[in-house]
Amino acid sequence: MATFDTQKTAWTMDDVLHFGRRAGFGLKPETAAQLVSRSPAATVAAWVDGTASETAFNGALPLANVVDYPGYGSEPDQWAPHPFNLRVEHPANLTEAQSYWAWRMQYAPNPFKEKLALYWHQHFATGAKKVDNIPLMLKQIQLFRDLGRGNFGDLLLAVSQDPAMMIWLDTIQNKVEKSGDVPNENFAREVLELYSLGIDNGYNQKDITELAKAMTGWDYIGRDFPIVDNPYYFNDGEFIVYHGQANPYPNHPWLQGYTTLPNQRVSGTFTLFGVTLELGAGSHFGADAIQLILTQRAQACATFLAQRLLRFFLNPDLSASVINDFRDVILANAFHLGMSLKALFKSAYFYDPMHRFALVEGPVAWSVRAAKLLSPEFAAALQPYQQNSANLPRFSAWAGFVNWDTSGFFNMGQDLLNPKGPNGWKDHAAWLNSDTYRHRTRTAYALAVKESLGEDHLHVERFLFDTDFREWFPTAPTTAMEVFNRLTALLQPAPIPSALRDAWLGLLWTKPFAWNGSADTETAVRRLAFLILCSPQAQQH
Amino acid sequence: MANRREFLQTMAAGSAVLSGLACGGGGTPASSGTSGGPPPPPPAPAPTAPILVIVTAEGGMDLLDALIPMDGANAGAYQSHRPTLNVNPANTTNIGSNLGLNKAFAGMAALHQQGRVAWLPGIGMPNPTLSHFLAADLWSQGSAIPGGTGWMGRYADLAFLNGADPLRGISTDGLPLAVQGLDRNFVNISTPDTYRFPATRSEWGSIDDPSPLRLGFSDGFSLSGTAAASGMKAALESGHLYDQAQSLFSSLIGTSRRNTSVPYPGDANYPDATLRNDYFHLSSQLKFIAEMIAKDLPSQVFVTATGGFDTHSNHARDFPLLLNEMGASLNAFYADLASINTAKGNAQDRVIIMGWSEFGRRVRENNGGLDHGTAGLSYVIGKGVKGGIYSNYPDLTNLDDNGNLKFTTDFRNLYATVLDKWMGVSSKTVLGGSYPNLGFL
Repeated sequence: MATFDTQKTAWTMDDVLHFGRRAGFGLKPETAAQLVSRSPAATVAAWVDGTASETAFNGALPLANVVDYPGYGSEPDQWAPHPFNLRVEHPANLTEAQSYWAWRMQYAPNPFKEKLALYWHQHFATGAKKVDNIPLMLKQIQLFRDLGRGNFGDLLLAVSQDPAMMIWLDTIQNKVEKSGDVPNENFAREVLELYSLGIDNGYNQKDITELAKAMTGWDYIGRDFPIVDNPYYFNDGEFIVYHGQANPYPNHPWLQGYTTLPNQRVSGTFTLFGVTLELGAGSHFGADAIQLILTQRAQACATFLAQRLLRFFLNPDLSASVINDFRDVILANAFHLGMSLKALFKSAYFYDPMHRFALVEGPVAWSVRAAKLLSPEFAAALQPYQQNSANLPRFSAWAGFVNWDTSGFFNMGQDLLNPKGPNGWKDHAAWLNSDTYRHRTRTAYALAVKESLGEDHLHVERFLFDTDFREWFPTAPTTAMEVFNRLTALLQPAPIPSALRDAWLGLLWTKPFAWNGSADTETAVRRLAFLILCSPQAQQH
Repeated sequence: MANRREFLQTMAAGSAVLSGLACGGGGTPASSGTSGGPPPPPPAPAPTAPILVIVTAEGGMDLLDALIPMDGANAGAYQSHRPTLNVNPANTTNIGSNLGLNKAFAGMAALHQQGRVAWLPGIGMPNPTLSHFLAADLWSQGSAIPGGTGWMGRYADLAFLNGADPLRGISTDGLPLAVQGLDRNFVNISTPDTYRFPATRSEWGSIDDPSPLRLGFSDGFSLSGTAAASGMKAALESGHLYDQAQSLFSSLIGTSRRNTSVPYPGDANYPDATLRNDYFHLSSQLKFIAEMIAKDLPSQVFVTATGGFDTHSNHARDFPLLLNEMGASLNAFYADLASINTAKGNAQDRVIIMGWSEFGRRVRENNGGLDHGTAGLSYVIGKGVKGGIYSNYPDLTNLDDNGNLKFTTDFRNLYATVLDKWMGVSSKTVLGGSYPNLGFL
């Protein structure tokens, strides 16, 4: 544990900004300045616990233009804790769901919850294409918000019984009803390989077979569909086991007339990691098998988690001893994720300058952070939209027959809510290739240089933020150098070499510097912001 | 690491034994066992500017329901292991050696009839893994001692000129491990319509002058005084390559894109991209590759991928659709190539297409689906290919402990054949070991 033993007792502006980039979606310099004087430990604890009020945020959700209104559940209190009621005429619209989540990332008063949900989405990568039910996808993301800071065993079990996951990795096909049926191993393999232990790390094919046996008969039952015209598009789902015992849903349309549920489970016992449990109620119909991963393979599981968490939150190139030290932090906190991550963020090691900008930022977080830093804070953004009942700035919109979509996320290599496979996205350096980087420049242009209707109106990466470039400057700059200094302080790229800075300023300001409302000034400022966002330095965080 | 060690230990022996077992006599002629028709023409001579197109079938493509054993013990075992999923012989096309090609794979049957397909049933590796990701990584690395680089990436390291070959290797589907080398790069071009530098447009006018952006990608500015961390290195290389590749791509691809107003004879035969598997759009990717060949890009290797083959459930519904789209797309692409003539010759003479998947599927069906398996099916298509069956079909009565097929041909033999006979480099250098050629080129 040695690496993480020393606590950070005082921090600098650079430390706070580093923390904000990693544990959130960035902090404006003005916000960070307020935190510098506070204690790191107390700030981290409040940040991880998410103590900021969410009332105004939840109240604004109906304005986010990604949830259905008016009609079903249009009252704000019906959104909480999560508005699954996407517009029913587009119940499978991935674009709206992506936009909705990006909107939450940008404005949520407790950004760590969203950043951690993004981590778990990468960890338990589940794809909308196969799940084919967007409300169930959003239910899974809400699960990450609710349990992502708790005990990993609880989270792992909840994910194993999450409807979207059970569709994604064929748990709902894992049925043994007649002779010749054998369990479907898909989820059993991936839960060990990708979600808890790592490839071939402390299990074998026999364990996979036994684990699949333990989870036979697991399924979900659709809920809330009476409020939607098409019953296929139910808005919620709940875990159920087809175990041959009493039917808890005698009035559910799917199960009317059943006094007992069908039995789709293997009977007898299963043996996992040397522990034999019975398959019925004694093992909670297999749920205890998930706990065996943590109890019987604690070291391997904690090591795996340490690797994954440090790779996402700290640095992709860490020695085994550092990873083992964080494994020990996780074990000492009995797999409590919030406690473990607080220990990480409170440690002096987290703030070692060698970690700053050591990670390539993922495309969604990169886009959200740039949007957040360049546009007004939530309260200021909300006000004019409340007054005229329009919608908040957002990452997509429907207007007439034109769909401004979130294909930018796909093109930049992170099709949010829709990874192609259960191992998620390849991260860090793999985020960047000649094509994904190209699309980052398109997004940077849409964010930094005011974008309006393009010539084709279709499938243009577009983020609808009306930004006033003068608001980027609390103090009016008097030189081009001051413009550069303020923009880099705001956008926080890794240090940009002075020779590159000088070359840019020379190309953009060919006339004597003047700070006025002219188009020349605005063009130069916005293009400089564009160049900074496109720089190799600004891909790191 | 036990698996890695076992893999290495058995690999050398495995390849030697299997080369004799599986392909000692060369291939089975394509016409053998088929009825009627003249024998197919001999393969076209090796071209001076060869092109390789690699088609990845992601998810693990089933062998048994694609190329079906028609008689003997294998047929009996097939019927009993696949009581509901077995393909009726009436729904197959006999391609010789008592093997029937699923009728849904009609596009491939037509190419087979022309004598232009080399089939490799039973292809796989010693100590197979049932993990998608590990299996795909091992296939992608394709070396005697897997070391983290891809086999096509190492080919690029060997053959591509440093800084002067930005478009020699193109992937339309990201940059998979197979094309990652040490210091040469493939480029990913998946959306050609917007492949511009810098890519911008708005009421504020596009930034037509690329020089300010280009400065940021230049080593002289961004690397001075700092050691390149892995993330910075990736950003600089990607940005620089994007600039280079895009400039060349734009100048060559021009503004007259292939569409209905620029007809090509093969154009109309591409299946509708929305046929079934629209998420992966193999058809449109192959059409785009044909266009790049037609525009005479200096590209030698194209990599593309399709998916959906992980048929754990609903195999009977999905698998024929997958085969249908793949076969029709490949067939249209092959026909389209004949219409393309450049200074380097007719494209059909210059191209081979190599198809692979990370593994086949479990022999015994499971509740309408198939679990992960081992040995699978590869194929090579081309006018320069001697059609036929070049590996022994696995023995369905002699399965491994997990009920999986024992492979008959090491996948690195396929790579060796392509590298030695088509790409004109030493496969031993690229693969780090000697693997016998399979004889179809």
